Amino acid sequence: MLNRAQWSYLASESFAGFRRRKLTTGVTILIMASALLVLAVLTLVTLNLGTLLETARGGLDLRLYLRDDLSTERLAELRPRLLTIPGVDQVTWTDSEAALAEFRRQLGDDAPLLELLDRNPLPSSYHVTFTAGARNPEAVRAIREEVIRWEEVTEVLLNQEWVDALERWTFRFQMASLVVGLLVFLAAIFVISNTVKLTIASSSRIIQIQKLVGATNAFIRTPFLCEGMVQGFLAGVLAMGLLAVASRILSHNLDGLVFFSAAQSFGFVVFCVMLGLAGSWAAMRKYLTMRSDI
Amino acid sequence: MTSRRPSPAAPETSGPLDPRAIISFHHVDLQYDDQKALSNVTFTVANGEFVCLTGPSGAGKSSILRLIAMDAFPTKGQVIVRGMPATRMNRGRVPQLRREIGYVFQDFRLLEDRSVEDNVAFAQLVVGQPHKLIVKNVMRVLTQVGLYDKRHRLPRQLSGGEQQRVAIARAMVNSPKILLADEPTGNLDPVTAQEIIDLLFRVNDAGTCVMFSTHDHEIVKTFGQRVLVVDGGTLISDERRRVPVDRSASLVDNMYRAPEGARSPGARTVRKEPVHA
Ligand SMILES: Nc1ncnc2c1ncn2[C@@H]1O[C@H](COP(=O)(O)OP(=O)(O)OP(=O)(O)O)[C@@H](O)[C@H]1O
Ligand SMILES: [Mg+2]
Repeated sequence: MLNRAQWSYLASESFAGFRRRKLTTGVTILIMASALLVLAVLTLVTLNLGTLLETARGGLDLRLYLRDDLSTERLAELRPRLLTIPGVDQVTWTDSEAALAEFRRQLGDDAPLLELLDRNPLPSSYHVTFTAGARNPEAVRAIREEVIRWEEVTEVLLNQEWVDALERWTFRFQMASLVVGLLVFLAAIFVISNTVKLTIASSSRIIQIQKLVGATNAFIRTPFLCEGMVQGFLAGVLAMGLLAVASRILSHNLDGLVFFSAAQSFGFVVFCVMLGLAGSWAAMRKYLTMRSDI
Repeated sequence: MTSRRPSPAAPETSGPLDPRAIISFHHVDLQYDDQKALSNVTFTVANGEFVCLTGPSGAGKSSILRLIAMDAFPTKGQVIVRGMPATRMNRGRVPQLRREIGYVFQDFRLLEDRSVEDNVAFAQLVVGQPHKLIVKNVMRVLTQVGLYDKRHRLPRQLSGGEQQRVAIARAMVNSPKILLADEPTGNLDPVTAQEIIDLLFRVNDAGTCVMFSTHDHEIVKTFGQRVLVVDGGTLISDERRRVPVDRSASLVDNMYRAPEGARSPGARTVRKEPVHA
């Protein structure tokens, strides 16, 4: 195990880059932070689209228009039948009078036009909403196929086109952000790994001397890994901070904007630290297996 | 005047299994990627011996020292250092072996941005010596090489000879059993070079086995101990001289006693390692 002198040495060496190579280290952190910012923005947009989609799906419904030559009792029997269909959540009855009243209300000043009609042209209808599990195009379509065959039903109105479109676009966006995110992720590792390589190159003498006096690879490696993690941490905090400020400004204009929760922000920073670790590990691996050339 | 503690005269028949052997080479070949550096090199060095390794440039002197420090491994044959056979050596144990070997170079290899004191302390830090002992041991070795007063200087504020003394202090601070010096006088003027050789004699007097390489004829001519000559990758001569060497009698006895808290983990692990030819 390490003793106190070694711990304090490792701790001070882990921050050596910030003292000895201010510019390289600073630039690395900025580049990494930009990459991570892109990553975070993509994640955030995906998150918001998901919420939006969920809301839109909640509005997915069917309206069954019914024949107007049937008795109210006969039509009332449809409700239990509808409720037995798997995926149906709630069924609301609107009789033709209520529909007309609503229509009248919508017409407002033009309502007197309705007086010209000799009978109520609006049919009675059922409004059907779905359980969460059935709020997808296939399930809704299946339910529609079922009820349209009933002889009491004249027409089924499915308010789905725009949900479909939204779904398609969300999918495309998610695919695109996955690809971009992956590239950004690799770029971030590459940037860190390169900085650590530079650091190692400029520390080749101290590494050589460490090997000479019998330092283990683990001891030699530790400060570099720590440096990578510190860089990842600072870049992550910087990116997250910028994003938080930006979202605070934007939230005045955009209602219902979802931001990362505290746990998600923390997770993001931990992820950045891991990224830093991975980058410096990649850089170290090759170096330490080489001959020490003493 | 003879040496106070003459080098033990190893019998001609000494082989790799000689219990007094601290270093033994047994028909060693060393091949770099595209270059054969050594072929069929066989010799043993007994504990406490003082050996001068000489030969023309490219002969393979550095290669021999590198094999001892296990920075290179034999392509053929066997190298055994303190009972550890190179070809069966777990690479993870090389650091342990290095802690028992001090290594000094022609170009000093000091950390330019650290003081003399920190350079020496570094070797102790790596082996995990507690802070209080580091301070004591660094003070002791720097006093021995006569640089305690300059301990706060940076290497570039020292002369070449002084820098080499710092390097020797660093090599000795962990009380190694073997000190290897690859052309330690190569960058120094004759007078300073002799001072460094004298310092190596003092290290040897304290019981450390010392092996250094040089192509300085003056040093080889006056060297009164064992001389190995390599040329073209083969050992062409192994001469044990017993010429008394006139060295300053002012050297303090007991100078190189083991530092406090010095450990030699290898000494324990050696026993476990089967010694074989
Ligand atoms: N890392 C290496 N890769 C390839 N060939 C090497 C390497 N190191 C040394 N050699 C070759 O091995 C041979 C022996 O080299 P070595 O360094 O042992 O010689 P030397 O006796 O120390 O020479 P010098 O007196 O110039 O230091 C030389 O021909 C050299 O070119
Ligand atoms: Mg050489």
